[in-house]
Amino acid sequence: MAPLSLGNRSLRFAAAAFLFFSTTSIAADEPKPKPENTITLQLGDPVPMQKFEHSPKFWISDVTDRSGNPQPMLVLKERGGIFLDRQPTAIVKDSLEHSLKAANLLAPDQASADLVVRVYLFHFGLASGSALDFFGKVEFSGMVKNPKTGESLEVKATGTSIANGAVRKKNIQKNVQENIEAALRDATRNFVRGTQLKDAVAQLYKGDLPVPTSAPAATPN
Amino acid sequence: MGRLMIAIALFGLFAAAASARPKDQTSIYKSAEAKHFTTAEGVELSPAFVDYFYAELRNELTKSKLVTEVIGEGEAVDDADAAKSLVISGTITEYKKGSVVKSALIGFGAGFKSLKMDAGVVRRSDKQNLCTIQVHVKVDPRWNEKVMAKGAAREVVKEMKKALTEGAKSTAPEATKPS
Repeated sequence: MAPLSLGNRSLRFAAAAFLFFSTTSIAADEPKPKPENTITLQLGDPVPMQKFEHSPKFWISDVTDRSGNPQPMLVLKERGGIFLDRQPTAIVKDSLEHSLKAANLLAPDQASADLVVRVYLFHFGLASGSALDFFGKVEFSGMVKNPKTGESLEVKATGTSIANGAVRKKNIQKNVQENIEAALRDATRNFVRGTQLKDAVAQLYKGDLPVPTSAPAATPN
Repeated sequence: MGRLMIAIALFGLFAAAASARPKDQTSIYKSAEAKHFTTAEGVELSPAFVDYFYAELRNELTKSKLVTEVIGEGEAVDDADAAKSLVISGTITEYKKGSVVKSALIGFGAGFKSLKMDAGVVRRSDKQNLCTIQVHVKVDPRWNEKVMAKGAAREVVKEMKKALTEGAKSTAPEATKPS
């Protein structure tokens, strides 16, 4: 094997140094959750529910994250990062339960619920907006199911909010928090006051009327 | 010194006149529902743009104080409030990407990004068309397309406010006219 020339050696050293420093700089840029960059989202006052003909009792069985986001708790990567204190699925579940409970429409358990809702979360947090502001978006859909009949219907909900941009880290954190809270509130409102939920409840729950046992049209021959 | 005093006095007078104007005008309509705008065939805009425009339109409607409450798409409205509820929908009819080269070489608005949209405002109760708006927005091709959405939303709300307040003024004497 021929000995390495000085130029060849220095080239290899430069390449190794470049690789080492680029990896360490990427690792240094990756924000870490700390108490000072973690925000707590709260819905605030419960969203008033719409009136149903027969008031059913709901139960939120599960919230599944379908956003495909590998870091769902990281809402902003720039400026040291901003993190959520809980998983978005837990925040959405809490906000829906909070509003249902306030309207006395939340069942104590799944067994006693008239309608069971399984939520699929598609987006939670900031979406791409203009560089001048923060665009918050919460999007989910709920599969409303009557456990007695097994019928189910999908109800979609979207919430958006636009907040002013900021320069200082403290203000960025405050604006992002307010923005996502507003989007969450908007999405919750869109769900509980939407015509889709009204139609789903009207179709799936007919009050305490006995469920017809024979359904000749639905049974296959 | 005297001129400065006059300038200060004039500024004070303008400030007082501006503050004397009624800030919180009572809204004619109780609620407004903005729908996601559709895109016409051949318009190459991402769904994210339509989403952002929807959010921006709602934001501008809230700021304009034209309505008491801006509700989300597909939200239920009480039958009693349906007569004072608006529904805004529309279509993005044309989008041109623009050209940075043209803009830099020619200037004077050449090569700008261009967006055209038609919007309609209907009353929820009887689906009566209250106004039809056509908006054309042009922005620098180097700017983000979301900035264009911001400008378009502002323009739609401005035109809508103008049309609805003019409509309200023209219908007000008719309402009081004895039959």
